[in-house]
Amino acid sequence: MAVLAKGDNEGGKVVDTMPLPTYHSLAAPVRKPVDKFALLPAFLKVRGLVKEHIDSFNYFIDKGIKKIVEANNRIEARNDPSIYLRYLDVRVGMPSIYENCNVESITPHLCRLTDRTYSAPIEVDIQYTVGKQHVVKRRNKFIIGYMPIMLRSSACILNEMDEDELAKYGECPLDPGGYFVVKGTEKVILIQEQLSKNRIIVDTDSKGRVIASVTSSTHAIKSKTVVLMDKGKIYLQLNQFTKPIPIIVVMKAMGMESDQEAVQMVGRDPRYGDLLFPSIQECASERIYTRQQALQYMDEKVMYPGATNNKEGRSNSILHDVFIAHVPVKDGNLRPKCIYTAVMLRRMLDAILNSDTFDDKDYVGNKRFELSGQLISLLFEDLFKTMNSQAVERMNKNSDKTRSSPLDFSQLIMQDTITFGLERAISTGNWDIKRFRMHRKGVSQVLSRLSYMATLGYMTRITPQFEKTRKTSGPRALQPSQWGMLCPCDTPEGEACGLTKNLALLSHITTDQEEGPLIDLCHSLGVEDLLFLSSEEIHAPGSFLVMLNGLILGKHKDPQRLVIHLRNLRRSNVIGEFVSIFINEKQRCVHIASDGGRVCRPLIIADMGISRIDETHMTKLRDGTYDFDDFLSGGLIEYLDVNEENNALIALYEHMDQDDVERSSITHIEIEPLSILGVVSGLIPYPHHNQSPRNTYQCAMGKQAMGNIAYNQLFRADSLLYLLVYAQRPLLTTKTIELVGYDKLGAGQNATVAVMGYSGYDIEDAIVMNKSSLDRGFGRCIALKKYTVLKDNYVDGVSDRIVKPQRDKDGVLMKQNMRALDDDGIVAPGQIIRNHDIYVNKQTPMNTSKGIGRPLTDSCYKDSPAIYKGVDGETTVVDRVMLCSDTNDKLSIKCIIRHTRRPEVGDKFSSRHGQKGVCGTIIQQEDFPFSERGICPDLIMNPHGFPSRMTIGKMIELLGGKAGVSCGRFHYGSAFGEPSGNADNVADISSTLIKHGFSYNGKDFLYSGILGQPLEAYIFMGPIYYQKLKHMVLDKMHARASGPRVLLTRQPTEGRSRDGGLRLGEMERDCLIAYGASMLIFERLMLSSDPYQVQVCRKCGLLGYYNHKLKTSYCSMCKNGENMAKMRLPYACKLLFQELHAMNVVPRLKLTEV
Amino acid sequence: MDPQQPEPVSYLCGDCGAENTLKPGDVIQCRECGYRILYKKRTRRIVQYEAR
Repeated sequence: MAVLAKGDNEGGKVVDTMPLPTYHSLAAPVRKPVDKFALLPAFLKVRGLVKEHIDSFNYFIDKGIKKIVEANNRIEARNDPSIYLRYLDVRVGMPSIYENCNVESITPHLCRLTDRTYSAPIEVDIQYTVGKQHVVKRRNKFIIGYMPIMLRSSACILNEMDEDELAKYGECPLDPGGYFVVKGTEKVILIQEQLSKNRIIVDTDSKGRVIASVTSSTHAIKSKTVVLMDKGKIYLQLNQFTKPIPIIVVMKAMGMESDQEAVQMVGRDPRYGDLLFPSIQECASERIYTRQQALQYMDEKVMYPGATNNKEGRSNSILHDVFIAHVPVKDGNLRPKCIYTAVMLRRMLDAILNSDTFDDKDYVGNKRFELSGQLISLLFEDLFKTMNSQAVERMNKNSDKTRSSPLDFSQLIMQDTITFGLERAISTGNWDIKRFRMHRKGVSQVLSRLSYMATLGYMTRITPQFEKTRKTSGPRALQPSQWGMLCPCDTPEGEACGLTKNLALLSHITTDQEEGPLIDLCHSLGVEDLLFLSSEEIHAPGSFLVMLNGLILGKHKDPQRLVIHLRNLRRSNVIGEFVSIFINEKQRCVHIASDGGRVCRPLIIADMGISRIDETHMTKLRDGTYDFDDFLSGGLIEYLDVNEENNALIALYEHMDQDDVERSSITHIEIEPLSILGVVSGLIPYPHHNQSPRNTYQCAMGKQAMGNIAYNQLFRADSLLYLLVYAQRPLLTTKTIELVGYDKLGAGQNATVAVMGYSGYDIEDAIVMNKSSLDRGFGRCIALKKYTVLKDNYVDGVSDRIVKPQRDKDGVLMKQNMRALDDDGIVAPGQIIRNHDIYVNKQTPMNTSKGIGRPLTDSCYKDSPAIYKGVDGETTVVDRVMLCSDTNDKLSIKCIIRHTRRPEVGDKFSSRHGQKGVCGTIIQQEDFPFSERGICPDLIMNPHGFPSRMTIGKMIELLGGKAGVSCGRFHYGSAFGEPSGNADNVADISSTLIKHGFSYNGKDFLYSGILGQPLEAYIFMGPIYYQKLKHMVLDKMHARASGPRVLLTRQPTEGRSRDGGLRLGEMERDCLIAYGASMLIFERLMLSSDPYQVQVCRKCGLLGYYNHKLKTSYCSMCKNGENMAKMRLPYACKLLFQELHAMNVVPRLKLTEV
Repeated sequence: MDPQQPEPVSYLCGDCGAENTLKPGDVIQCRECGYRILYKKRTRRIVQYEAR
């Protein structure tokens, strides 16, 4: 009774608090939820999966390169400035090569096959003087070098091609592009993550001091300015000074002689004054009152790399050029720097007064992502300057000699500097640029073609800049600001966990945009320049500072209005779509950002919580009259970066009320919740039902799955290619799978899985496989390996030769291993090739050092055949044989050898839920369980895989797949897709199952294949998409008895590739010692390894030798052979003694009788 | 497989498919279209593969 009464009471309360329905709310038409999903494919059509790479490279090709050349456009001879060369214009042409005096255009696929670089000429228009009279000449289309071209960029021939044209050029339409082809290998320049430049970051350092730091980066200089508070006093730290300088001294040195003004500049809040007081006092106690005194004080603290003692005036120039270098100094006016310093101080003091205002270094808004365009532009700038200075150097040398040389700059410019410099950097990945003090390794990496997903995963990968050994968890943790920008799942395990990240599906990285128009616009919208204001007015109440890309532009009295105006201008396309306008109430600042490297994502604009997109827009989109750009220009969708997201209230769904959010305050609506995930995690069905680490594991494994790589996979010549023979598209798909084209290039097969125990060979995640399924082609894969043979050329036209197989007079082959060869000495496609067979019968001249003069005879050549090393007992077939000349005009023969493998015990398989397992046993179909309908599983999985892993998604995949095959419709399992209909509900799936005669819970009634009796339990059975992973027993299994040894130590070699031994390591040794198996240790460490007999002198304890002539042993130290003893020890031990001898350490052996 | 009368081995162009014969020292280029990759033709010997 009591319970009932309580319930009544509560019910009454609810009614009371519910808002009364008004006429307006009742009469308003009910808005139907708009299906906005079509925006996703539209976005990807316009922007593509790797658009950020291509955009960045396009920006460099179109604008960046012009800026660099423009900035260094004149070179002149040092001793005669009237001899000059001027660059008028620069362009990047179409990809081509210069061969035999004519230009040939090239395609990416040709470059891949023939080990060339896909590069285009950099053409410049130049004006230069010729001869002694300095006749001015002009030349257009002068080539200064070749630039590697990113595939699908605006300079690539594949740009804007449709599928048919791409097919004509041997290119896969699903290939995303965005990488380079350098010397035949595909190279990606990974996205590099850094802390943003030119922004004030308030943080604490390792000693717990509050610091405000700015990393300034301009064209001319890079510097780091740190303002720190130590024991209540504030100092400036700069590399150029030996000691921290009191900040008030710096202010005075910049002309801020009045302490009052300095305090006013920071702010009129008395608390600021209190905090600044110790610093002011310190300055006064040093008796520094004027600018001159301050500069003098600072001059003494200048660090001088040289020995000269002339420090005078140094600090003034440091203040001008190095201190917060990105703040421009006009006509020697340091006031902008004063104001900037004051703002830094203010931010720092704010952080001390209120610890909420500390900046988070891991916050994505404080990060910038460096893309290939920026990295290549750095490289190009360096190489271009090097090339010019080399030309000047040569010109000076020429004119010094006062020969009648032509004095023509255009002949002194060498193409090789740029061509080889770019090629070397991209192919090695080492960005060593002395000019910018940049030494980075691993910037570019080989694009993995293991599977289509691996390729896509590489293109969205972001690598960190800091060292990986850091133990702190901060940078590795998932950041809330990552939402929608970076994938929360896709990160590697182990040392790079959480540091290497991946972009989310809809995110985009900005490129630089012009600042000039923005500055003008801001001024006309009422931003007041600070130079016209007194220090007191800067922080006047109600007014906000306006910052543009980290520079103080001025202040505005009505910041909200400015922000609204600017946003409206962006929505109506007056300013760029990627400009971010962010109002920071805490800092009392409006941040406008147009710099490159910010991540942003599109969102639907909502007015008072009502989406601007309605059904009419979506109809237009579906009809094809509208595309994504129309949504942008129509002000329906806009890009928000991480900072501006803080000013927005983003609803997940427009038709659903969430928690207690005021509907009218919603400013944006998500396009689709699944877009918070990345490309690789997008192929997991029902990821929101899985335990999160499982999704992370799957992201790593999806990249190892075999399948189809590209439409042109059989025409490619990768050094190793794994393909699945019968790859299928998953029965349970997701929207992301369709968007990225995984349904066209699948990497797995739909296996009917029974979840039950069977045979005992299924423990520890092993799976039991059906032999008949394997016969039908389940998990069958092809391994294509490329073997290249080069026909070398030597001096005097002597070269290797490829000869037809030698036969005796009966026409029988001289050697059995030549059976696969054709008459041209090369294997033919279709031929079976076995272990130790020759595939190219090459001969090398014996004497290659100098020309002999006469033609070489057969006896001058020695055999150097290319012998195939395969697995004994396996049949491998020559797939293709390709002949081409490489860049050095050497003939290269590429044999692609195919091996078809069926699954065997020990091969690794995985579902899409991080559930990997090896094949435990293969069992006849006769012994497999079967259902009344005759359904027999392809593989059996042990149910113990589920409880601890908690991969509910896999169970739903099984249900959805089962419903899918029975009703003939692909089911969906997109992330968070149930509310929007992008994922099928379990309830709906169950009813489909019932309709088709299955149990609602997916369990089937099975008979035992061995006994013929019904199994005692219903078995959960249905199709699950299984991937075959690249780890196969055949590539790994290894055993040896005795075999090769290392020359130096005489111990067995290491590793499978060298037929090495298996190491009995120190831990195994410990076990044997603990057990007391001393003879086993002796056998392993001595007899089976490197036994050696030595002669030891019992007197001196050194090693002697055995004289075979006299049949005596002899000690070379004692000069006699009287006290010699024989003993056995490991050769490595003897070697160690000798090495110690060499280092003047004498180990002596003391022998005793046992 | 007639050792007395060796038939010159011909190669197929990777672009146009034309047949080319090569002598030692020749530039690898199709005589018809100038494409720079040539492929060997499939063997004419009888081969027996194992299908399992």
